[in-house]
Amino acid sequence: MVETTPLDGPTAPTVTDPPCLEMSGISKQFGGHQALEDVSITLHPGRVLALCGANGAGKSTLVRILAGVESADAGTIRVRGQEETVASPGDATRLGLSFIHQELNLVPKFTALQNIAMGADHPRRTGVLDLRGLRRKALAVMDRIGYSVPLDAKVEQLSVSDRWMVSLARSLMRDASIVAMDEPTASFTQEEADRLYGIVDELTADGVGILYISHRLEEVLHVSDDVTVLRNGRLVGSYAARDLDVASLTRHIVGRDVEDLTHRVTDTDPTAAPVLLRTSGLTREPRVRDVDLTIHEGEILGVAGLVGAGRTELARLLIGADAAHAGSMTLDGRPYRPGSPSDGIKAGVALVPEERRSQGLVLRSSVASNITMASMRDPRRRLGTFSPRRAAATARDAVSRFGVKTSSVHDAVGHLSGGNQQKVVVSKCVLTGPRLLILDEPTVGVDVGARGEIYDIIRDLAASGTSILMISSDFDELAICDRVVVMREGALTHSVPASRATKDHLTSLCFGTTEHLGTTEQDPS
Amino acid sequence: MTAALVDVPVLQAPPRRARVWRWFGRYGALLVLALLVVGTSALEPETFATWDNFINILNQSALSAIIAMGLTFALVTGEFDLSIGNVASLSGVLACTAMVSHDVSIPVAFGLAVVIGAVVGLANGLVVTLLNVNALVATLGIGTVAVGVNYAVAGGLPVSLTDPAPFIQITLGRFLGIPYPVFIMLGLAAVLWFVLNRTVLGQSMQAVGGNPVAAQLSGIRVDRVRVVAFVICGICAALTGLLLASRTGSAAVSGGDTYLLAAFAAAFFGSAVLRDGEFHIIGTLVGVITVSVGFNAIALIGLETYWQYLFQGLLLILGVGVGSLARHRAAAAH
Repeated sequence: MVETTPLDGPTAPTVTDPPCLEMSGISKQFGGHQALEDVSITLHPGRVLALCGANGAGKSTLVRILAGVESADAGTIRVRGQEETVASPGDATRLGLSFIHQELNLVPKFTALQNIAMGADHPRRTGVLDLRGLRRKALAVMDRIGYSVPLDAKVEQLSVSDRWMVSLARSLMRDASIVAMDEPTASFTQEEADRLYGIVDELTADGVGILYISHRLEEVLHVSDDVTVLRNGRLVGSYAARDLDVASLTRHIVGRDVEDLTHRVTDTDPTAAPVLLRTSGLTREPRVRDVDLTIHEGEILGVAGLVGAGRTELARLLIGADAAHAGSMTLDGRPYRPGSPSDGIKAGVALVPEERRSQGLVLRSSVASNITMASMRDPRRRLGTFSPRRAAATARDAVSRFGVKTSSVHDAVGHLSGGNQQKVVVSKCVLTGPRLLILDEPTVGVDVGARGEIYDIIRDLAASGTSILMISSDFDELAICDRVVVMREGALTHSVPASRATKDHLTSLCFGTTEHLGTTEQDPS
Repeated sequence: MTAALVDVPVLQAPPRRARVWRWFGRYGALLVLALLVVGTSALEPETFATWDNFINILNQSALSAIIAMGLTFALVTGEFDLSIGNVASLSGVLACTAMVSHDVSIPVAFGLAVVIGAVVGLANGLVVTLLNVNALVATLGIGTVAVGVNYAVAGGLPVSLTDPAPFIQITLGRFLGIPYPVFIMLGLAAVLWFVLNRTVLGQSMQAVGGNPVAAQLSGIRVDRVRVVAFVICGICAALTGLLLASRTGSAAVSGGDTYLLAAFAAAFFGSAVLRDGEFHIIGTLVGVITVSVGFNAIALIGLETYWQYLFQGLLLILGVGVGSLARHRAAAAH
């Protein structure tokens, strides 16, 4: 079912239903930057349209225009054939458009039901909230999507995926007929993602049109019927999902061929190198239990596991952000007991944290301030003076070394794209001269091109002797590792050599579904 | 089906408008100061636009500026300090009591004031970081304790020196025709600017204020940085308190209390000067001087005292409000 596109020329559409949403000729300029130029998308009821593109391709701008947050410089929006002006989020809601973003707009201290009630059009009786009617309606919605969230639990106590479901339920309470989902599975487990796919099927069966935005291309191809690709603010084309595979879709997104993530070719066995860090019995209840881990010099060690398996908590113990309840660590054979990240960094351990915006960066500060933040203290300058000129020079070196795309090192880091922000965080950590660099989900929300560059940085560092501990939920990217350990429910369960670290194998180990494998794997050390 | 649709003309914001708003956001507060100066010069050319009055305005600004620049450190790290007014009162009373009852010299009294400010700042910092109490609550509590100590020592009565002349000389004395407090203010401003902008400590403070989690994971000792900011804030407040006592040669028990709101007003107004809502030393200094110029103009034009409050309140709202509005407009028109 190929859609008409300006590039492909008109092809006879086989879809019989008229589109529920058409955005045509949308253009938007920010300052001198053309964020969108003549972009058109078409969404049919009961179908899933995936919107793909690298960071900065214009996906979010397009969605923001649809949501009434930004106004287009040119172009039209038609909803169910009717031309509409979407000047505010209120307009969007009235038109049956609904948006579920990565940052869910929920009040953590409210219950799920209270959050669902915050939407418009809830039943009222003389101005008083009709909670019973609301609950009935919410249960009906849960029934419709075939999954129920505990309505009386406070949202802060719910898992990420349950929170997402609360957001979805709130949209459906308003009878949304078009739902935009922005990176819905970014922090879902495989099981939760599978459940989401089921819900998407239910919704489309009901005639809801879904606009699906995700960097996970396999997932895009699995979920969607149609795929529209943007690059640098322009339409690349619209395709039927079944005509695409990951390689061809990547080519459309990047505009060139991207090398496959091949297993690292190493002439030497990295586990033969001297041990850099060793933990024994490392424990911090409830998330880290009796972890014995060994990292060799220059080794890229992957940590696979489900969200909540304790991987982030393990990283925090290694850098000194949290204190262990039991167990010990040695670095270079000497006892290593970091009392704070400051101790960790001094000892040669650095962490690229999971959430770059909230944990890795000072968004309003400049690229230069962020890059030099962890390495300001120069032991040669005992008075602790700071030279902005030297910091800027250091930052410029790092920017060119790591390929950060920014017009100036004095720009606020918050204005960069996700991939470039991540490169800033990595630069900051590398400048501390780490012997062990820990990366926690380094490519979440990072576009395909920047992802490859981050892998290159990791490989280069390892080649120069830095040890890498890479935590990732994207098991495909663990292919760059020499060895992958699997963490489940706080404990290391398996250690898998690179050659056997396939996605399917790691996934089954994470879920603990393959009992016989215990015998074939080496001890996790 | 995409070709035939009619383009809807949408109002396109010219980038020029963004530039105008951005300019307004950064320089609007300075513009207010310039308008004040030009306007009053036109109205009162004989008395306002003179060298003597210029020095007078700086002198009037000095004490507020010292306490407000100290407060800027707490604000930069993302904290608040409500105890500064009480610390100023306490330091004046304790230092004067020491001079009256224990006959200590003036330099020792200054040293004592610094220690008092540092101790209270340390207490604030430790309550905030170790006990994890919100800074508003912590400094309100510590400030109230300071009031209690103050009354316990002075019994609620002003502490007057028997021979105040040398002490008064600190604020009345002049060098090259310029009062000492102006030198103290400018010297301290230079030191504090250097600390905030040219030291690792100052950069760390700005990082902690920007994102404490990121700062901590980058190896910055966040708690330590916060405590130091509170200590600097306390020391500046104590210095202001002692200089205030030196103006009359006697310390009133609640003499420094009024500086609390004035310091906050100046620092917040200053956050709209040249920067996009960030606290900084130069901005705070401009904020204090703008208020002084306004007060001076009100006095020279012969308006009644209540105009001072109207002016200061409106200045704060306008300075911060217009700055914030201008930034939003600039972002929207971007």
